[in-house]
Amino acid sequence: MACMNEDGQWIVLMGLLVAVGLFFLALIINQSVLVGQTTAEGVLEFPKNDIRDLREAVFDYVDTFGGANNLTTGAVRQDIVAISLERKNAVVNFSVESQVEVSGHYLHPVTIHYYNGVTEYNENVYY
Amino acid sequence: MVNDGGQLYTMEGVAAGLIMLLTAYIVISTTSIYTPGDTHIPDMQLEQLGSDVLAMMDTPNAKDDDKSDLERFIADNNSDGFRAAFLDYCNMTAGDTDDLHMSASVTYRSGDSVGEYQFVGADNTWTGRESAVRVTRWVQLSERPAVLPGVSIENRSQAVLVEVLLWRA
Repeated sequence: MACMNEDGQWIVLMGLLVAVGLFFLALIINQSVLVGQTTAEGVLEFPKNDIRDLREAVFDYVDTFGGANNLTTGAVRQDIVAISLERKNAVVNFSVESQVEVSGHYLHPVTIHYYNGVTEYNENVYY
Repeated sequence: MVNDGGQLYTMEGVAAGLIMLLTAYIVISTTSIYTPGDTHIPDMQLEQLGSDVLAMMDTPNAKDDDKSDLERFIADNNSDGFRAAFLDYCNMTAGDTDDLHMSASVTYRSGDSVGEYQFVGADNTWTGRESAVRVTRWVQLSERPAVLPGVSIENRSQAVLVEVLLWRA
């Protein structure tokens, strides 16, 4: 085949380069399908509203009962603990101490614990 | 005889044209890609809306008001009032009203067991296949709520959990 014209090889080589380039572009498009998957899952998994709910419930409790510790408050606390476990699959607990002076205000030291197996949330707050 | 020497150039031109079209299409289509992350955004927005509505209903109307609307609805078992107020707040938009629907239940503790009663039933748009979101709110009552017969709740100060299922029909 000594006399064969080989001028067309450049075109074949260019075709190969373009094909490889398109292949990489296709790979990038393919990867983009997964963009945001873990982000969305993370946002949905994080129990933001559950934690806010619990904080509101504890602060309502402090508004009503303060640092009192008797049969009535024990029952309400048990309500929150039992219903959280049943309906929100979360282990929660909280405690309220009697008022202490913080920068001239009398506030209850409150500790809140929340754990649903994935997210753990602990808070110490003066309310 | 017709000379076909130009055919190779024609084919190359067509191939180059196709490659350019394909590249332009790929480049333009990358600016908007619908990913699985986007499908959750309406759910997240609906959940936020429902939580906000419940938080607003759980806020007393005036400083010397000791109970919120939500507490009154639960304590009096006023399910029609609750449904009307909740849907009114939910469906309010800047333009036409939205088409959101809801059902609600209340969870309480009685002794060692946790019970639940239907507070607001689902309307006739409910098929069971809606992608509903659940929003909740704790409500503290000073005595047992007035409920339908057949639901036994202890008469004491207690915390109950209001759960609302919210969906767009």
